[in-house]
Order: sequence, then C-alpha cells, then structure tokens
Amino acid sequence: MSMHAAPARGGTVSRALARDKLGVLAVLAFILASIAPMTVAAGVIPTAYAITGLAGIPAAFLVTAVVLGLFCPGYVAMSRRIRNAGAFYAFASAGLGRVTGVAAALMALLAYESFQVATYGALGPAAQAEAAAHLGVHWPWWAWALVIWAVVTALGLARVEVAGRVLAVLTAAEIAIVVAETISGLASPAGGHLDLGALSPSALTASGAGTLGVLAVIAGLAFVGFEQSPVLGEETRNARRTIPAATYTALAAIGALYAAAAWAMQAHAGPAHVAAAAEAQGPGLLYGLSSSGALAQAAQALFMTSLFAAALSYHNVTWRYMFALSREGVLPAALSRTSRASIPRAASLLQSGSALAVIAVFAVAGWPAMNGLFFGGGAMGGLGVMILLALTSAAVIRYFDIHPGQESLWARMAAPALGALLLGTAIVLAIWHFGTLIGAGPGNPAAWLLPSAFGAAAVAGLGWGAFLRAHRPDVYATIGLGAHAAAGHAAHASGRKLS
Amino acid sequence: MHERRAAGLAGREYPGLLDAGLGGTGLVADDLYLLAHDDRTGRALLPPRPLGTGLAGALLAELMLARLIGLRSDTAVMIAHDAPTAAVRRHVLLALIAAEPGPLPVQAWLGYLGQTAVRDVAARLEHAGYLTRVRSRMPGRGGRMVPVNPDWAFAPMTRVRPALDPARQVTAYAVVLAGLAVASGLGFRLDQYQAQAGRNAEEAVAHLPPDLRQLITQTQITVSSAVLSQRT
Repeated sequence: MSMHAAPARGGTVSRALARDKLGVLAVLAFILASIAPMTVAAGVIPTAYAITGLAGIPAAFLVTAVVLGLFCPGYVAMSRRIRNAGAFYAFASAGLGRVTGVAAALMALLAYESFQVATYGALGPAAQAEAAAHLGVHWPWWAWALVIWAVVTALGLARVEVAGRVLAVLTAAEIAIVVAETISGLASPAGGHLDLGALSPSALTASGAGTLGVLAVIAGLAFVGFEQSPVLGEETRNARRTIPAATYTALAAIGALYAAAAWAMQAHAGPAHVAAAAEAQGPGLLYGLSSSGALAQAAQALFMTSLFAAALSYHNVTWRYMFALSREGVLPAALSRTSRASIPRAASLLQSGSALAVIAVFAVAGWPAMNGLFFGGGAMGGLGVMILLALTSAAVIRYFDIHPGQESLWARMAAPALGALLLGTAIVLAIWHFGTLIGAGPGNPAAWLLPSAFGAAAVAGLGWGAFLRAHRPDVYATIGLGAHAAAGHAAHASGRKLS
Repeated sequence: MHERRAAGLAGREYPGLLDAGLGGTGLVADDLYLLAHDDRTGRALLPPRPLGTGLAGALLAELMLARLIGLRSDTAVMIAHDAPTAAVRRHVLLALIAAEPGPLPVQAWLGYLGQTAVRDVAARLEHAGYLTRVRSRMPGRGGRMVPVNPDWAFAPMTRVRPALDPARQVTAYAVVLAGLAVASGLGFRLDQYQAQAGRNAEEAVAHLPPDLRQLITQTQITVSSAVLSQRT
C-alpha cells in the first residue's frame, strides 16, 4: 500500500495477505532443510555403524518413519488449536498442564543445545581433514571447531541466517548426491550380491531386542527437524491440507533416502565389515560408495555446509526457545531483551558460551570429536526429542479429551496412543542401553550421566513450574504462549496502578 | 547532552527551520521511524519485519489517537461511529479499512501494512522535509533515506521522555510512542531515559485506553512472532 495511493477496492487486504502464503513445495523445502540430509547421511549413519556395529540401521529408518507417521496426525491436529505451535513445550502445557510444560521446555532446551554442540564435533574433524589435504595446515580438530564456533557466534549476534533459497538449493544438492552415492553403492555390493536382509524388520532385533531403543534413537535423531512444520501453519495457504501433505511427504522421502543410504553403505562394505570400514573411513563410508572423485569432493563440501547450516540453525532454535520462555517470564527477562537486529544478545551469548565450554572440555580431556562430541551429543539430543515426542503424544490425547472437537478418533486418540506406546518403549530401552548407543564401555559414567541430565532438567522444570503456580500466578497463566504471552501480561498489568 | 549539541549544530546549519524541525510532525509513525534509525546515517536499527510491524502499529495508533478508529473486543479494527465521512474518504488507510467487506483483526492489518510501512513512512518523512534520499555507492541498489538534520532525527527521544519520567506530565502521545518503541524491540534506545525512580514503558501503557493498549500488545505479539520465526 502507498500512503498516497487511491483508495483500494474491497478485500484488498485479505487478498494481499493470502498471496504471501506458502504452498506444499515451500513447506516441504523448509522441512527438508531443517532435517539437514547430508549431516545424517555422511555423519550420523557411518558413526552409528562404527560405534554400535548394528546391522538393523537401515530397517530402523523405515520403522521410525512409520512411528513418526503415527505421531503426526494428533500433533498436526492439535497444532491448529494452540498458540506457539512450533514449540513442544506449548503442547505439553496445553495438554498436560503448565508445570509439565516448564519441565518439557527445559528438556527441549537441553536437547537442542546438545544438537548444537554436537555439530562442532563433526565440523572440527571435517575442517581439519580438508585443511590438511588442501592447505597443508595441520591444526587439531578443536582449533577448527573454535574457529567455526566464533563464526557461528558472530553470525548469531548479527542475526545472519542462511537464506531459505540458499538452504533449499544446498538441500536439493545434498539429496541428489546422497541418491547418486547410494545408487553407486547398491550397484557394487561386496561379493556381488545384494542382501535385502538389512531392510527387514527382523534386522532390528538381530543383536537382541534391547538394541531396539538404540536404533530408535539413532533413526529418531536423523529425523529431527520434521516437527518444525506447524511453525509455518499461519503462513501457509490452506494449512489444513498443506501442512500434513508436506509433513508426510518429507517423512516418507527422508525415511526412504536414509534407509537406502544406510543399506548401500552396508552392502558396499559387506555386512560383516561395515563397522570396521565405518571406523576407518568415517564420513568417507558414504563418499566411497562411488568411484567418482568429483562426487566425493562435492559430498565432502556439502557435508560441511550442511553441518554449518545445522550449527547456525540449532543456535537460533536454542535462543528462540530462551526468548519465548523469557517473554513468558519463565526464564529471566534479560534473555528476551532484544538489541539492534532484534537479537536477544544474552540468550544468543548464553548458547554460544555453553557450546564453548563443552568444546573446551573435550579439547582439554582429549575426548574424541566425531565418536564422542558429535555422536554423543546427537544421541543425547535424539533421546531428548524422543521424550518430547512421547510427552507431546500424551498431551494430544489429554488435550482432545478436555477440548473435544471435530477431530477423528484416529487423530485424537488411536494414533497418538500407539505413537506414545512405541516411543515410550523405545525410550526405556534406549536409556537402558545408552552405553551401547554412545559406545561407552562398562563402568563409563557417561552411560547414565547423559540420560539423567534429562531427569534433572525435568525435576528442575517441575519444581520451577510448581513455584510459579504458587507464587507468580501472572507468569504461570502465560506458560506455553511464547510471543502471545504479551497479551496475558498486558491484561495483568492493566489491573495495576502506577505508584 | 545530546540536546545541547543539537541546538548548536543545527542552529548554525538550519537557522530558519530549527524550531519547526525539532518539533516533529506530530505523527507517531514518523517519530517511531526516526527512533528506529540512526540519526546520522539513517541506517535501520531493527530488521525489516519487526520494524515494518512496529510502524504499522504506529500508523493505526495515529488514527486511534485521533479517535477515527477503534478496536472491538475481538481486536477487529473498526471505523469510529462519529468519524467524519469526508475524513474517511480522504485518508488512504481509513478508506482501505472502510473498503474491506468485513472488519479484519488488528494482526491482519499489522501484517498487511507492515509489508510497506517502512517505505510509506519514509516517503511521508521525505515529503515533510525530514529525510532525503542519497544515492547508494553500490551500483544497482536504490537510494537510501538519510536524515536531513541529525538533531531533528534525534528529537523524538525527547518526545518519548515524558512517558518514562514521573516528574513530567504524561501524554498519551508519549506513552503510545514509548509503548510501540518497546513493542518493536527498541527498548535499548529508551534505556538512557530509564531513571532509577522512573516508570517503565509497560507501566505507562497500562494507563492508556483499552484499544490503544490492545494495539500495543498486538504489535508486540506480532513483532515477537517475527523474531521467533525464521523469516525476518
């Protein structure tokens, strides 16, 4: 609109706002970019083979896609009804009560923080290898991790985000290369024979039923990002159709892509040798599927850009969580105080500071980057997200019980109940076998320390939530509303008089 | 401090226009625009979406302060019953509101006006003689709006002050400006006037009439949503 323009015809505003909305393809691109396919294909899958040696990884991706498919109907249905739909804790608050919501919020913060820090564990070694090969610079991984950390911190403070279109192009290139490498790998299996066994559900329990949870976390962490779709609900054309269509397409496509890539790596190296090959080659397990040097080089470059985009994106997700919680009054007000560029500096710096501390601990202790920081952090984040998914499923059932509407029995009850049951079982098994998941030997305290961090976050959240309920009813009333909390606070403030 | 320097510098450079320029246009969006930009370089202190949303809120606030529009309890924007027909026809935004088939919620208006508010308000300030367009050094890029006089561009800071200083008479204009500045994410600009014994903008806003209060709240929600979303 121009202030000097002639008066417009009726309905101009509604039409103009509708024009700005996103379609299925745009939402799909957004979800796929959030999932960061190359980070998983070149980072998570080879490391998972190296650490766990489990043959069921390809099948786990297919089964997890189905389980997440069960999670989605209720999640998508409820996201239409609540505010702040991008955040898991908003679902927990609305369905299971605000005290549980605070616990969910702190667990989500811990999970996203783990993912963010984990990216440095893969970026460091990747940059180290590239610099040694092409520049003749031989710095340790943590020095490169610190350089990249500084860049992420600076970009975070300046609020530079990778533009959606750039991310979409990079994601498309990542998918194309993973597909090409996968086809090459499947075309040249070890021993000349392609074995379908890795894709069979029976592969999941080949090393004992207990490893189911381990596989679920590995596969689950690979899908993280798919839950972002309802964030776009308000910005989407015909959201009722677009959001589910894009979400299910993304789940199916990503499930098939990862399963095929993991299968190709196993087939190419041979099921008996894949763990040793992964240990020796790392991300090279993917790059080596084809004999094309150019393809491998492109894959290596995209692995780094994918990881970098993930590092920046998780940095942003973490400070956004802090910003939303601070707007509500759950976290200190300083975390939502924006400076120039509309960035809450304190929240951004808090995230960066904690990442720096973790990198420093790994560097000083001499712990492994890829198998320790990257995979341990990823596994921890994956476990956290599974806990949040299970909590959200329970919240969906309870929410529609309290607020019945037109939703089908499948969406409001059956699918989330099945999802919660399967996710809950996987969580228990994963915690039980966390040592196997992160490759920690017997007696290594990390096997129980890392999962219990979520227990600590939950207890702290429940305690803080209960305190707010008893002593700060104004804050308590707005838990889960995020940006919309301002309405609640304003209503409360209007009842006060100036002193 | 800044004001003393302002009078001296501006006095030499713009002797005839000094008083008029320092007094402002009397329009909230104009003052908010100046608050949200560097008083010398004219560079924006906020990203486009939060800035556009804040200015959109200010454009609506101008009409609300003039009692030409109001908000229904469901936040729908309505033309005031006693708004003169001629005024509605003459004012572009009022005419646009009147032309919609049904009342739209204020969030829709913030979204719509926010798309072009930065450009629109800059054009208005250019027309009023507060901004001038300078050509960009980068080829292919459009011109940039720069304050004609840094002191005029700084002056809105003095107009927002009564809202925060208990020693001064509060005006609805100052409170609305302060409220919208904080809602847009310009709280850091007001810090220097946040005296220890002073009140904060939220406390001042609590005393506004309900629809102005609601407008500021909705602006803050939309800006916060923009900060939380990835499309800034």
